[in-house]
Amino acid sequence: MSDDAAIEVRDLVRVFESRKGFLFREVVRTEALKGVNLRVRAGSIFGLLGPNGAGKTTLVKILSTLLLPTSGTAQVLGHDVTRETDWLRPRIGLVLGGERGLYSRINARENLRYFADLYGIPVSERERRITEVLERVDLSSAADRRVEEYSRGMKQKLHIARGILHRPAILFLDEPTIGLDPKSARETRKLVRSLIQDGVTILLTTHYMFEAEELCPELAVLSRGRVVAHDTIPGLRSRVGGDRTIEAEAYGFEDREVDALRALPGVSKVASEEYGPRTRLTLRMRTGVTGVEHVKAALREHPELTIRERRTSVEDVYLDLVEEEAS
Amino acid sequence: MALAAGEVSRLRTTVASLRLAVLQFMADPQWLVPSMIAPVIFGLVSFELFRGAGPYFLTYAILGAGMMSMWGQTLYGSGWATGQDRVFGTLEPTIQSPSPYLYVVLGRILWNIVIGLVGGGIVYGVVVVAAGGPPALPNPALFVVLFLFVMVTLASVGVLFAAAYVYTRYAGFIQNIGEFAFYVGTGCMFPVILLPFWTNPIALLFPPTWALDALRYVSIPGYTGFGWGWQVDLVGAVVSTAVYAGIAGGIFHRVERHVLEVGNLSEY
Ligand SMILES: Nc1ncnc2c1ncn2[C@@H]1O[C@H](COP(=O)(O)OP(=O)(O)OP(=O)(O)O)[C@@H](O)[C@H]1O
Ligand SMILES: [Mg+2]
Repeated sequence: MSDDAAIEVRDLVRVFESRKGFLFREVVRTEALKGVNLRVRAGSIFGLLGPNGAGKTTLVKILSTLLLPTSGTAQVLGHDVTRETDWLRPRIGLVLGGERGLYSRINARENLRYFADLYGIPVSERERRITEVLERVDLSSAADRRVEEYSRGMKQKLHIARGILHRPAILFLDEPTIGLDPKSARETRKLVRSLIQDGVTILLTTHYMFEAEELCPELAVLSRGRVVAHDTIPGLRSRVGGDRTIEAEAYGFEDREVDALRALPGVSKVASEEYGPRTRLTLRMRTGVTGVEHVKAALREHPELTIRERRTSVEDVYLDLVEEEAS
Repeated sequence: MALAAGEVSRLRTTVASLRLAVLQFMADPQWLVPSMIAPVIFGLVSFELFRGAGPYFLTYAILGAGMMSMWGQTLYGSGWATGQDRVFGTLEPTIQSPSPYLYVVLGRILWNIVIGLVGGGIVYGVVVVAAGGPPALPNPALFVVLFLFVMVTLASVGVLFAAAYVYTRYAGFIQNIGEFAFYVGTGCMFPVILLPFWTNPIALLFPPTWALDALRYVSIPGYTGFGWGWQVDLVGAVVSTAVYAGIAGGIFHRVERHVLEVGNLSEY
């Protein structure tokens, strides 16, 4: 394993077996991970994207020692996740988030005290650390309220507070901003960035492409248990063959019009989608070859045409990748 | 004892878990029903049930009802709390922490023992009030010591129920059947010797059987029980409890591994 890798995953496979039917007759096998290879540099934020059921949470659980792989290997901080759990657990922070996972009848401070003890945080430091993390996630004023009175976003913040309480060397964040309002989400992203300054390595899963774009210099896209892309943001953008996107909308287009657009120089992709009575064409292209005026010319028979040009977002790239995988 | 880097003191885990158990108990007054009100009812029912059953019926009544309430608290409570960890979704973060889950269970068991003893005390009070006076106990000091020890033996079985709840969310099913079988089988309600003969060797596999037999020896003059005296019972209880404690350590280690293989920690 190379020195600067915080996570090194090789041919990782995870199969779930569940039973259904009367008297547990039928065994249903789900291949959640089908041979994942991944390498994450130490001291960075790595993004893991993918549609529902892609295997993100499964991978996070394996890396945080909550699940054993069916085959393949995974090393975190240079230690094997299946054999060296005792060494790894105190150094791993895990935020699975959601409504559950907390003791709801007691307050936030007591929740943190309990986990501080389970993680063996020195008693002399415990209260100071708890106050510190509560401040960091902006829960100080609600610290003594029962968690059952918390909103979903407040619970999410408490999950994060618990995840960083013991100052882990590596932090796994499974959809950290889910359920947060825009302001809290932005603050959470700020918090995530500030953790990097403390030298923490972070692996973050998200459904929000702008979030990955904002936080993660490097990311991987998981689809149906496979890594379909592992790249930097600029790398991903160029991979799809165009840093500009033009969207044209009208009441239906002819095939020959679409073909004409495809034939324009620099255009790498033309996708068509129905929006009620209207159709939207999305063109992916390189800067400086073809412009809006060329597209307008090709579609001049539509007086009702609306057209818009923008930078290709990671969201576009991501959707292209996932679509490709699905077809 | 020096701890390796990252290792958490077992005592600290146990104390933290005990503390959490107390906080949750305080936060949820519905607990008052099984821990405080049920013993009153058990005491009264038991008093009526054993009334006139020989000169030592009071002691029978106290032991029967006391065990009934303590059994529930200590044995059932210990497994149930782990089931709750599944329901709350706290089993995953707890297992992910460096603390071995066995010591989390131990902390809860300590609290359940305290609650069980309070229940036993309430039963004693109720029966004494109903009878208009305390029962004749030949050796009160030994009675108290053995009474405490019965709790420890109950706890040793409770640990295994807790392990079952870590193992699978379906443990409630095992526990409900197991609880009833053990309750009757170990002689909690009436002496084992009154049960069909074939159940006796099975009952001896459970530490509470031994401890309860010893307790009856010292509190009911003329009690024959297994017929080998309370000293033998005591040795049997200590040995079987030690075996259970040993098994519990090994079982927890395996169960914690097994659930990582199956991946059912988040099921409830
Ligand atoms: N305990 C389990 N038993 C059976 N199947 C499971 C289990 N956990 C996950 N799976 C299956 O494994 C696949 C991957 O699930 P996973 O939760 O890792 O996806 P995800 O990428 O995190 O999705 P989401 O974005 O919805 O959170 C899914 O098909 C899921 O149904
Ligand atoms: Mg998920």
